[in-house]
Amino acid sequence: MSEAAFFIDYSRCIGCEACVNACAECDTHRGTSMIHLETIERRESVQTAPQICMHCEDPICAQVCPADAIKKTPDGVVQSSLKPRCIGCSNCVLSCPFGVPKYMSGIDQMMKCDMCYDRSSVGKKPMCATVCPSGALTYTSMEEIQRTRQGIPVNSWKFGAEEVKTKVYVMVPREVTRVEIELVQIHTTPSALPNDPYDVALMLEGME
Amino acid sequence: MQKQIFPSTGSDSAHAMTWGLIAATSLVIGIFIGSRELRDFDPALVSYAGACVFSAFGLGYRYAMWLRRPPTRLYWYRGWHIFLDRKHFTQSVLHLGRIFWNNIFLQRFIERRSHKRWIAHWFLAWGCLLAGAVTFPLSFGWVRFETAIDNQQVYRAFMFGIPLGSFRLGTWIAELTFNILDVAAVMVLIGVFFALWRRGRDHGAMSVQQFSNDLTPLIMLFAICVTGLFLTVSTHLMHGLHYIFLSQLHAITVILTLLYLPFGKFFHIFQRPAQLGLDFYKRAGAVGPQAKCSRCGLEFGSALQINDLKAVQSELQIRFQMTDGSHYQDVCPQCRRKNLALAQDALWRSTDMSKRGLL
Amino acid sequence: MAKLPVEAPELVRVFGPTLHRVPAGGWSRTTEDEKLVKTHCCFCGQQCGIQLRVQDNKVVGFEPWEDFPFNRGKLCPKGVKRYMQAEHPDRLKHPIQRVEGAGFEAISWDFAMQRVVGEIQRIQSTYGKDAFAVLTGASLTNEKAYLMGKFARVALQTANIDYNGRLCMVSAGAASKKVFGMDRSANPWSDIPKAKVILAAGANIAECAPITTDYIWQARENGAKLIILDPRMTPIARNADLFIPVRPGGDIGVFNGMLHILIERGWIDRKFIEEHTTGFDQLAESVKKYTPEYSSKIAGVPAEMIVKAAELWGPAPTSFLMHARGIEHHTKGVDNCMAAINLVVATGRIGREGCGYAMITGQGNGQGGREQGQKCDQLPGSRDISNPEHRKYIAGVWGVEEASLPQKGLSAIPLVEAIHAGKIKGLVSICFNPVVSLPDANFVREALEKLEFFTCIDFFLSETARYADVVLAGSLMEEDEGTTTNVEGRVIRHRKAVTPPVEAREDWKIICEIAGRLGYADKFSYPSSKEIFEELRIASKGGVSDYYGMTWDRLDESNGLFWPCPEVGHPGTPRLYENGKFGHPDGRAHFMPVEWRPSDEMPDEEYPVILTTGRVVSQFLSGTQTRRIGALVDQTSQPFCEMHPRLADKYGIGDGDFVKVESRRGNVVVHAKVVKTIRPDTVFVPYHWPLDRSANNCTNRAIDPVSNIPEFKICAVRLSKADQPTDSIAMLEVQAGGVR
Repeated sequence: MSEAAFFIDYSRCIGCEACVNACAECDTHRGTSMIHLETIERRESVQTAPQICMHCEDPICAQVCPADAIKKTPDGVVQSSLKPRCIGCSNCVLSCPFGVPKYMSGIDQMMKCDMCYDRSSVGKKPMCATVCPSGALTYTSMEEIQRTRQGIPVNSWKFGAEEVKTKVYVMVPREVTRVEIELVQIHTTPSALPNDPYDVALMLEGME
Repeated sequence: MQKQIFPSTGSDSAHAMTWGLIAATSLVIGIFIGSRELRDFDPALVSYAGACVFSAFGLGYRYAMWLRRPPTRLYWYRGWHIFLDRKHFTQSVLHLGRIFWNNIFLQRFIERRSHKRWIAHWFLAWGCLLAGAVTFPLSFGWVRFETAIDNQQVYRAFMFGIPLGSFRLGTWIAELTFNILDVAAVMVLIGVFFALWRRGRDHGAMSVQQFSNDLTPLIMLFAICVTGLFLTVSTHLMHGLHYIFLSQLHAITVILTLLYLPFGKFFHIFQRPAQLGLDFYKRAGAVGPQAKCSRCGLEFGSALQINDLKAVQSELQIRFQMTDGSHYQDVCPQCRRKNLALAQDALWRSTDMSKRGLL
Repeated sequence: MAKLPVEAPELVRVFGPTLHRVPAGGWSRTTEDEKLVKTHCCFCGQQCGIQLRVQDNKVVGFEPWEDFPFNRGKLCPKGVKRYMQAEHPDRLKHPIQRVEGAGFEAISWDFAMQRVVGEIQRIQSTYGKDAFAVLTGASLTNEKAYLMGKFARVALQTANIDYNGRLCMVSAGAASKKVFGMDRSANPWSDIPKAKVILAAGANIAECAPITTDYIWQARENGAKLIILDPRMTPIARNADLFIPVRPGGDIGVFNGMLHILIERGWIDRKFIEEHTTGFDQLAESVKKYTPEYSSKIAGVPAEMIVKAAELWGPAPTSFLMHARGIEHHTKGVDNCMAAINLVVATGRIGREGCGYAMITGQGNGQGGREQGQKCDQLPGSRDISNPEHRKYIAGVWGVEEASLPQKGLSAIPLVEAIHAGKIKGLVSICFNPVVSLPDANFVREALEKLEFFTCIDFFLSETARYADVVLAGSLMEEDEGTTTNVEGRVIRHRKAVTPPVEAREDWKIICEIAGRLGYADKFSYPSSKEIFEELRIASKGGVSDYYGMTWDRLDESNGLFWPCPEVGHPGTPRLYENGKFGHPDGRAHFMPVEWRPSDEMPDEEYPVILTTGRVVSQFLSGTQTRRIGALVDQTSQPFCEMHPRLADKYGIGDGDFVKVESRRGNVVVHAKVVKTIRPDTVFVPYHWPLDRSANNCTNRAIDPVSNIPEFKICAVRLSKADQPTDSIAMLEVQAGGVR
């Protein structure tokens, strides 16, 4: 068994917010939830998606940090900003390609998902991935994920011309080797899909 | 590649080395002049002064390196530029006073993180700064005390050779002056106690703290304070017992800390004022035009910062230009998250649909 | 005198619901836990395993229980925040009694008991035994459910006991009994990922049974096709291979239409039908007219969808059918379920690995709660109260004369109607909040006000308990030992984490004391709830739901046992009907031909829109517990009315506007949520909220003739844009029935 890794499959998400609630139970930031749960466009569909920190190999948040406050542990976990250093400028918030860091104005500091360092550093699963009832968030071994899923995990992304490698994997169909991000405008669907796929009225067309 | 807003040239380390040397040399010159060509310099404190010179080199080097980072350099220049703007200079100075009081003196932002942390930090910070305010000028020979020639009961204080005033032994001023380091030591110990108490109990803090980064500084401060207090105890209660040994032990703890100053957690003391500069930057950004997300159309940051970020990113070789000519930096964080999910979901859906012959 | 002692806002001020946000001991964790108690979530029938963290006799947090096989550490938000119901400021810590014009005052247990027992005796001697009724709940442990049945039949000798499972599992249970001869999900959940096609009808799995999601997604990873029937595109439906947006009440169109095609195309298992079933010919005859076109009209969906469903379901090697309240909450709820089950039996895909059938239990102990004798027609072990043999056996266990056992009493809705009609004068209620959860809420409130005496056992002053004369402070699940039976039929242990606070008592002790004071101390003297289970084992022995082979020790060792478990060495029965052996005396499954009929109230010119109700993921049933937990209320703070943009445009309603949803019985004013994911002829309002925010002000109390389940899922309403209400109820906090 290889060591456990984090796998996201946004398409499995059911928007229940178990992750959001469980995240606030993590001791490194208990009482404050770090995970994001997005309702994509409720009028159009019921699609929702969680976003944890992807823990980039070369974190852009750290590169753009003027205070040198964002550090990666030896095991590759990008931590919340160091409290003595962070000056609350939000460069990381605005630059993270995954939209992860949160600026907490009260304490003038950036905080973010640290993969439940209190748990994952001692061999436990992060809270969100432990409770997630849909398996959208999963923390398990590479062998297990390959055995149980149709798709494959990839950790390679492209935002414009920027290539990003992450510690966290995303589940994609087998033919995909890298997730290339195109911007999907609001009220439209990705170019690979038909328009308005979730309008129940359209499904019923032809009925009186 | 986008033009650098505040260009830097030459090799980083040569640049930093230069600034390190400038800092160290300045201190040496400062000591020489300030101690009236070493006339006021106390040779017994030469090891402290030497450590300070090394530390100055380290701080200069580290600070220069830090400012070589594109985002830091940008905020440095932007902060000063906005602060020194003549049109708002008076307002800026007043505002500086206000945020200095809240952020640096009271450290309100730490209070909101946790009360225990705030108590610990406030005592640590002001204990250390108080001690520093006394010991640095003393070891540089900038401040000197001597008994009045005509009266053994009166002490006179000089700074840079200029008389500052005098006080009689036995007055509260005298007691305070001679024991100010004990006061500082007690403050620091209170801070150390609270910090260790928190770090030894709070599960969250325990899981992310590192011995070298978070506990070593506390241990160093503890050692300085305890050995320093021993000196007082030895003098007043034990008739000078082991005084020489204790003073050497104390010197070692202080010198080690001085040497550690530029490299460890203590460097944040020198970084922290950047928060003040940033405050001016944020205010300037807030009154200027705002950036609107190219997906949802909502404001998500100041145009000043978004444009600066684009420049910083390009300096850092972060290439967010999209193939359609748009820029990923113009997408707000929330839309980025939504977009990611849409992209991944679409990969599955189009695969599913093509399998089912629907595409 | 069961009227509100003072206006509702005043009661809310004193008793909540208020929001509990910070756990006992604060957020930052500074000491090691004294103990981690392995127990279960109490907020739905899945009964997920969870560990409660305890310090100083206080529940201070939770830790996932990854070794429990059903949910393997997974939890929904209700489970995550479950621990926040403990140490709650609204908690009742003493018995209280109603004081006209003032509210409630604390009283001693002795006085409370004297009053309750005195009123029971007065009412029963004046109006007859049956004039005092018992309403109970399906979130009680098996021990308490068993005890309530015995209490009603032995101590009160009233026929009128029923439970809120009447709003939950009775249609599914009745259908299952008719076709299979047993009332239980036929398979353990581990069979779901092995199925190649899954049909989920009327089940918003993502929100009402979230843990099942992973089982279904896992089936999809293994190549399963997923068919979903629901008037709304739920989160599960979004990923379905076939989503059928059926018209509320039109499900039989889909099921019979599918069966029509299965027979036509030969996708049925003739051998299985021959050997293990009865009644197929009548069934085949009955679906002859259900051509895709005919079915399409009933179902309100294009005929191709029904054909596609048959094509996915028919040829599959393995399959799993599951349904929930969406098809069960109808005046034809039993028929809906039977029509669905016919599809399972006709294909012979039952009783094998990866082949099965499940009803998704809603309430905490929805399964066990209906087996051990708190239904009006049942005795322990799923025995029939009108069967002389069954009566005799139970009378023997209880040490009473068979003749002293009452006959079948009224089910929940007729029982409330009997109160309204003045036939029932006294009521003891536990684990039930009918003012919020029953249909036609205005009628229910009127009924309660007519009671001469009403006593409630509860841990919070629920909206219903506000009408009580005496409220007895009971216990939370984590304050008592016991068992429940989960959605799979797995009997599991709930363990005591802390003791009830101050003077609050374990529910079973309260019941036993009342029984004792009524003169039945010898029949209700249990040293602990374990002895109640020991008696339940014997009472269930030889019944359908046979727990005899289970002991608490065995349950502790095994992570639960599936009934029937008739002998102490028996391993339990995770999968029913193996080798085609069904529960009827003839060992066969009985096909039940089903004919579609209209719902009790169909939309018309005056009330042209269909209202359907349901749940949201962050709230549980009537919200007595979950509307007191800050994080859960924040997640969905108030009810809303989901409607399609086409419908909204017709009434000039925009997203976020206030809308008045009005039926012949009442109305509710909530925010509009304009979404494309619902049928344009239907609106949806979740029902967890009280007073003017209660969807049940509108719903219809018509019931299924067999199961007596009310028709929550369809009634006729009209819509109009409304101003923001500003009356005293509207100004309450959202969890108390206010609007913002």
